[in-house]
Amino acid sequence: MYRPGRHQLLKLKRDFNGWSAASLLFTAVIGLPILVIVYRLADGPGSSWMHITEYLLPGYVGNSLYLMCACSVLTICFGVSSAWLTVRYDFPGRGVLQLLLILPLAVPSYITAYAYAGVFDYGGFIQLVRAFFSVGASRIDLMNIHGLAFILSASLYPYVYVACRIYFAQRAQSLIDASAVLGGGERSLFFRLMLPLARPAIVGGVILVLMEVLNDYGAAKYFGVNTFTTGIFKAWFGYREPETALYLSAVMLLIIFLLIILEQKQRGKKRFTVESPANIKSSKLSPGKGGKLVAFACVFIPVLLGFFIPVSQLIYWAVLTFSSLSWNHLISVIGTSLGVACIAALFGVLVAFLLVVIKQFSHLNWVKQLAKVSILGYAIPGAVIAVGVYVPSLFIDKWMMRQMTEQYSYQIGLVLTGTVAALVYAYVVRFLAVAYNPLVASKEKILDGLLESSQSLGVSTFRTSLKVLFPLLKPAMIGAFLLVFIDVMKELPLTLILKPYYVQTLAIEAYQYASDERIMESAMPALLIVIVGLIPVFFLNRLMLKS
Amino acid sequence: MLLKALNLSKSFQGGKVKATQDVSFELQSGNIYAFLGESGSGKTTLARLIAGLERPDAGELYLNERLISSPTTHLPVEKRAIGFVFQQAALFPHLTVAENIAYGIARSRDKKDRVQEMLALVNLEGYDKRYPHELSGGQQQRVALARAMAPKPHLVLLDEPFSSLDTTLRYQVRTELFQILRKSGTCAIFITHNAEDAMLVADEILVFKEGNLIQQSSPETIYQRPASVYVASFFGPIIAMTDELLHSFCYSGEEGVCYYLRDHNVCLTNEHEFKAKAVVEGVAILGKDYLVSLRIDHSVIQVASITKPTKSELTVSFSAAALLSFKS
Repeated sequence: MYRPGRHQLLKLKRDFNGWSAASLLFTAVIGLPILVIVYRLADGPGSSWMHITEYLLPGYVGNSLYLMCACSVLTICFGVSSAWLTVRYDFPGRGVLQLLLILPLAVPSYITAYAYAGVFDYGGFIQLVRAFFSVGASRIDLMNIHGLAFILSASLYPYVYVACRIYFAQRAQSLIDASAVLGGGERSLFFRLMLPLARPAIVGGVILVLMEVLNDYGAAKYFGVNTFTTGIFKAWFGYREPETALYLSAVMLLIIFLLIILEQKQRGKKRFTVESPANIKSSKLSPGKGGKLVAFACVFIPVLLGFFIPVSQLIYWAVLTFSSLSWNHLISVIGTSLGVACIAALFGVLVAFLLVVIKQFSHLNWVKQLAKVSILGYAIPGAVIAVGVYVPSLFIDKWMMRQMTEQYSYQIGLVLTGTVAALVYAYVVRFLAVAYNPLVASKEKILDGLLESSQSLGVSTFRTSLKVLFPLLKPAMIGAFLLVFIDVMKELPLTLILKPYYVQTLAIEAYQYASDERIMESAMPALLIVIVGLIPVFFLNRLMLKS
Repeated sequence: MLLKALNLSKSFQGGKVKATQDVSFELQSGNIYAFLGESGSGKTTLARLIAGLERPDAGELYLNERLISSPTTHLPVEKRAIGFVFQQAALFPHLTVAENIAYGIARSRDKKDRVQEMLALVNLEGYDKRYPHELSGGQQQRVALARAMAPKPHLVLLDEPFSSLDTTLRYQVRTELFQILRKSGTCAIFITHNAEDAMLVADEILVFKEGNLIQQSSPETIYQRPASVYVASFFGPIIAMTDELLHSFCYSGEEGVCYYLRDHNVCLTNEHEFKAKAVVEGVAILGKDYLVSLRIDHSVIQVASITKPTKSELTVSFSAAALLSFKS
């Protein structure tokens, strides 16, 4: 007798393999922090929630929204104009500038903020210039929400620039030619054709910017602007109410999911990509003298604001404080920083590789769809992930302590909470996508036939992964390792919440000096982060120019 | 019986694309088969079902009387011992030729000998230390075949193995590959959209259309007794013999039957039994034969002829044995 229910079950049994099980396990482990936040909402907020919703939340929402709007506008101005100018026109310095334009990515925005505070401070560069020319009486105050928006934009516009540049240079060439043949002017080409067509690229870049804006803690804290993330910190460290921090995190998650849905929606049904034959090389337009100057200025200003000014300030400070530096301490901080980043990057790449394997060899579609949850971490602010990791790790620790005491009357300490294990786990959750995306991109270039050949030659899926997939993905894995490594080096809010007392990273070091109003001394660790951060920027450049 | 398919079905995108529908057939060991069909006919999906790279929605697949695929059972790809040669040779780029061939051979003392044996079979002795990118396209395909046959599979599937090669190379590689397969006596399924390739290499051809198996016969039968107009037209141009045309030739056909002729079965002489007067309207050379446009009463047909017509008006003829008839 044919019974559909039983039939479905047998089919599930046929298609469910070890990889499906592994996939479910990974999804659960990586998705845990998000689940915890959602689950613990049922417990209700802490006692200061009422106070926060009444007096603080409107401010958080208002400030965060303002920052998001202002940063969108500014990063689009910087990013789109510089991408278009460097792709379309020829002017002196274009070749170098198109590389320099992404340098601000090497400087974490909180460090840019510290440097700018110095530039505009009493005795800072701007004040000296003003005193010299004796113009204006009052000091320009940058330490407010407008200043913060400016600084975040100057340090984050490369996300928009890179997305647009790849689009303009790669996809749009045949359209540019078509517009030229049809006799459209430059202005109509840009505003009527390129801008609307580049919308998905622009929005994609802006979404990354917005996620970074929401993630920022260091800059907002230093500038005294209350945002969601500083609110989470206040609830966590100020009121000592994890429940309230959870509630704030949940509100933030909601905003982020709205953003993601918006991004998916905006693509809609329209097709924006036009396949361009790869071998078209079109020459760039050469504007007149005045035009060249304007183009140069437009492209140089973002680099100046986002990289040269803050880095010069840091170098200046570093030189000033060089003699008073405690080298022993700094070296131990560098060691810890590199060590933690190495471990986290290693785990991140390993898990990312396993996810790629799982995606390849799992046969259940819903399992694969579910696995996408595990790469959501990139969208979730570090502070939120930290809260999501802290709560369950404390729960597990308490449970284990109770069990050990009851069963074996043996006392153990905290195994997860406040240890490197929890910190590394949180880093992996947060940066898994950073490692996963290049691996998947690289895997897609490998012929499916290679893996299928291996299997049809009688080699199991596990050994196929080791003998074929692993060696072929090795270059991509090295790249992915570097990317995660540097992101971990730069990470601040998550590290602040989860780090054990004995772990001191360069980012924390810079942050603590800045909070203690010893900002000059933060320059050295900050510069070291920038130097390490420059490595992937060169990789990215090579990637972008190749395409 | 080596392989038996029973009502095999597979669809994609939640049932929207029906790739293989209710397909049944039996294959004997030692033969070479061709799966013939246009792109989208489901022949590749079927090959992937046989290899175990896809899982069927319905139906059963037996290898040596053992159930290997059904909606509730699945013998993993790696346990089937079915070789697969892909369109692009898909050699492992990080391994040498010898390592590629040795890849699927179980650990044993005579592993090295087997690799040498396979290299000799595909005429690539001395190439063992090379890397795939150092080989020509044809050599790569030969290594791919050697690699697939090295573990002594029950059956080798070749999915359009020549389509990535250029025309001149393609003829050479086709001849070589199938000489190798014949020599080894391995059962092979050759997936192709090219009727000529299929006729040249296969003992039996299976023609697919829109996911259905239409005919399974020897090349001769399939050419002379095609199961449908579609199959007939797959193996060369055919001329629809309308009632009017048949009348001109004084042939009285049965009711409810459609008649067709292959374009070279209309002779420009009066040697066959059914004749008609024709006017030559145009002649073009196709290479080894001529394409002649003929007007017979009010119809115009195009026939292939080895000789160039000398007169502008002549008598043409066909024999009843050459007629292809299908019940409409």
